[in-house]
Amino acid sequence: MSESAHRFGRARHLVGIVGMPRTPAATVGVLVLNAGLVQRIGPFRLHVGLTRHLNACGYATLRFDLSGLGDSSVDGKPSTREEQVRADADDAMQLLAAQAGCTRFVLIGLCSGAAHAHALARSDPRIAGAVFLDGYAYPTAGFLLRHYLRKLSRTSPMGLLKALSRRLRPSVRKHDPVFEVGFPPRAEVTADLQDMLGRGQKLLFIYSGGASGYFNDARQFRECFGALARDPGVEVQYFAAADHTYVLGKDRATLTERVSRWTGRNFPL
Amino acid sequence: MTAASVAGMPRYFGPHHALFGIYHAAATPRGALLLCPPLGQEMIRSQRTYRLLAQALAERGHAVLRFDYRGTGDSADAGGTPSWASCCADIGTAAQELRNACGLDTVSAFGARLGANLAMAAVDSARLDSVMALDPVCDGAQFVADMDALQSRLLLDGNRFLQPRRDMEPHAEWVGFSPGLLRDELSRIRWQLGAALRFQIDSTPPARTDATPACSTVSVAQPIPWMNLDAQEDVIIAHDIVQAVIAHVASRAA
Repeated sequence: MSESAHRFGRARHLVGIVGMPRTPAATVGVLVLNAGLVQRIGPFRLHVGLTRHLNACGYATLRFDLSGLGDSSVDGKPSTREEQVRADADDAMQLLAAQAGCTRFVLIGLCSGAAHAHALARSDPRIAGAVFLDGYAYPTAGFLLRHYLRKLSRTSPMGLLKALSRRLRPSVRKHDPVFEVGFPPRAEVTADLQDMLGRGQKLLFIYSGGASGYFNDARQFRECFGALARDPGVEVQYFAAADHTYVLGKDRATLTERVSRWTGRNFPL
Repeated sequence: MTAASVAGMPRYFGPHHALFGIYHAAATPRGALLLCPPLGQEMIRSQRTYRLLAQALAERGHAVLRFDYRGTGDSADAGGTPSWASCCADIGTAAQELRNACGLDTVSAFGARLGANLAMAAVDSARLDSVMALDPVCDGAQFVADMDALQSRLLLDGNRFLQPRRDMEPHAEWVGFSPGLLRDELSRIRWQLGAALRFQIDSTPPARTDATPACSTVSVAQPIPWMNLDAQEDVIIAHDIVQAVIAHVASRAA
């Protein structure tokens, strides 16, 4: 395994680390996108451990900062964030192709990184697969049932009476903010996922306990997205014990193992 | 200078190319500054401020190198967690890399939190001319106790975990990072005032007034919540810190 540091991109405004396996790399390379505002090393250095593990498994990787994040600046051209992300990903794929000969790519994104991975996977034919960490999902009847049953199981009889009393009083709040998730409409995401699977992409969804505001059971994916959940290209995992950003080393190791195994199964060397 | 050189060129350097750094060049450098990062989550939270500081200094004609110690950031994982000695050695390697890159022999250092303590500890071995410090850790034993307490509260934090993580050893990690050897080493450190310390910024009230005559101190209005559990994933963007360092560097050059 070896790593090299690069300033790259259409305006040489991006910074990233290419990781190479000891043996010649697979033709599929892995790009890791920023999680929120955290620099390319990822929350608690998650992306460093993950990319180095993938390198050891035989995959070339690039962890890099999108425009304006971490050590990357902007290209100075007027564009929307989505256009910027698409152009940055194109620059990143060109770099990994030049460095490692990769022709197809897997994207890994946590939180906002998952949203970016979704936008890229639906539009770029070079994307062979994507790992969405706390990506899109939508509350369902099953979600609400599980949510309230769990709450009930932790509530004392007196607490239950108080809660019922509050429920019977008129509320000034129109809805509970815990269910506000600023995601695109479900129909749009469903259509995108169908299209991705139709093009043969492999998709891994891992939801953490930190996503409990909108996701609380692996079955919810099928409740949300229907038949496509049974597509062989889809794998869904629910990692209830972990938090949203994998603050514990043990959880990061488990996540890394799960992602690496999925990569090996779907993109064998 | 090109925009890219001020923005910084990433590179691996040192023995086995184990250290990652970003060098911000200056055409005819007026000075050379090494930015020593804090450790653990404080390093991740400070990245934006370090980048802003490095670029601002480079725009004013200073050659700047910021880097990651072995076992942190993008640097290589050299046999486990970093130790006090490995971090001090890395400061020496980085200082020499900066000298080689800019052609100046005199190197000053800036460090936040444990980055300041490490810079002071490495003054002689890394041949640092002077040190600027932001919120150094004054009492290592207290720091260890505070980090243990922070981690204990984190494991029980209902805003983070669905169920308390009683399966975890409470003091094995400090907010995402294993202290390893550093736990014992840090418990013995105390903030050492030395002749090399020229500038100290205190964001945490009350301001310390125990600096040497050669050292000027300033306090900034907005305290940085280093130990606040709810702020552990907040990015620190401290323009007032950047301005204070730039003003100090300019006053020394004048």
